[in-house]
Amino acid sequence: MRKVLKLSLFLLIVASIAGFSISYVNGITDPLIEQQNAEKKQSSFNDVYPGADDVKDESKKYITNDSDEVVKEVNIAYKSNIPVGVIYTVKPNGYNGKIEMLVGFDINSKKITAIKILSQSETPGLGANSKESFFSDRFKGLNAESSIEIVKKESVQDNEVLAITAATITSKAVASGVNVARQHFISNFAK
Amino acid sequence: MNLGKEFSKGILSENPLFRLTLGMCPSLAITTSVFNGLGMGIAFTVVLLASNIVISLLRKIIPDSIRIPCYIVIIATFVTMIEMLMHAFTPELFESLGIFIPLIVVNCIILGRAEAFANKNSLAPSIMDALGMGLGYTLALLVVSTFREILGAGTFLGYAIFGQSALIMILPPGAFITLGCVLAFLNKIQNRTKHSVNS
Repeated sequence: MRKVLKLSLFLLIVASIAGFSISYVNGITDPLIEQQNAEKKQSSFNDVYPGADDVKDESKKYITNDSDEVVKEVNIAYKSNIPVGVIYTVKPNGYNGKIEMLVGFDINSKKITAIKILSQSETPGLGANSKESFFSDRFKGLNAESSIEIVKKESVQDNEVLAITAATITSKAVASGVNVARQHFISNFAK
Repeated sequence: MNLGKEFSKGILSENPLFRLTLGMCPSLAITTSVFNGLGMGIAFTVVLLASNIVISLLRKIIPDSIRIPCYIVIIATFVTMIEMLMHAFTPELFESLGIFIPLIVVNCIILGRAEAFANKNSLAPSIMDALGMGLGYTLALLVVSTFREILGAGTFLGYAIFGQSALIMILPPGAFITLGCVLAFLNKIQNRTKHSVNS
């Protein structure tokens, strides 16, 4: 019995020292990590909708029970206090897991300004190329009023996007995320 | 106790990846690029060094019957710290290593060195052992990831070398193919040196 107590006490001491040292390091790094995440978010907003003075998270107002659950955030971009753009965070299902991405729309022209992949776990060398600009640029300037289709042939028509070679599922997943955001945009902001 | 020998054994004769074949899982998974291999090697070496130092210092205090849980707590603490520090100071590396940083906890090389070496030896040899093993592991990761990145992505450290590449090399099968070839090559060399010694 005494031995059990002694051993548990020893483990308790080891674990407490470990806990205290981790919380000390966390105290140093946490503000830095927080700051980095905030900066990263701001700069990605700027990539997707350039030139806004302010971007506000208005998810509470626009995400209702009826909205598609792929839509995670609705951010409104303001220019001199007038809403000019909408930036969606959507998480469609990819080939290996969720793809987290931003989709920006211009309210005035009803066009997609840009998309940006924030995180993904697709196959390296194939689907992971979706985060490269050569693919996301294919969505730039597309009209938000009609559905976006993924095609495998070179000749793309309006609202068609050429798939990434050998990564059709990932390409379609990205397009489905854009389409969900597009539908939400059309029903909420394009009246 | 020969300190130089404790250091050098980890590099070739007892290389953790090529000779002891420990810690295969994270090694195969992260060696898709040289940058990842290097990052993983350095993070691993820091954790191994810290855990070897602490375990070697505490080897007479830790009761024998609960040594394994103690080692795990010590190793997990260091890994968590490294993870937070990397997230704060090298976010790019943190993102590309992803899940494999927390997995250093269960990397059997670290627990293996704690059990096989640090709890039987004093501070100085344990430090040399950790540095040698860490360097050996890093070099092994570099060898595998160099082959895989050049052949699979046509780049080295992100700089383009070939336009064409064999995609399979950066997919999981490429890891096994590369490792198999390197092991076969090292065995061949070892056999040859043994033969020449015998004759």
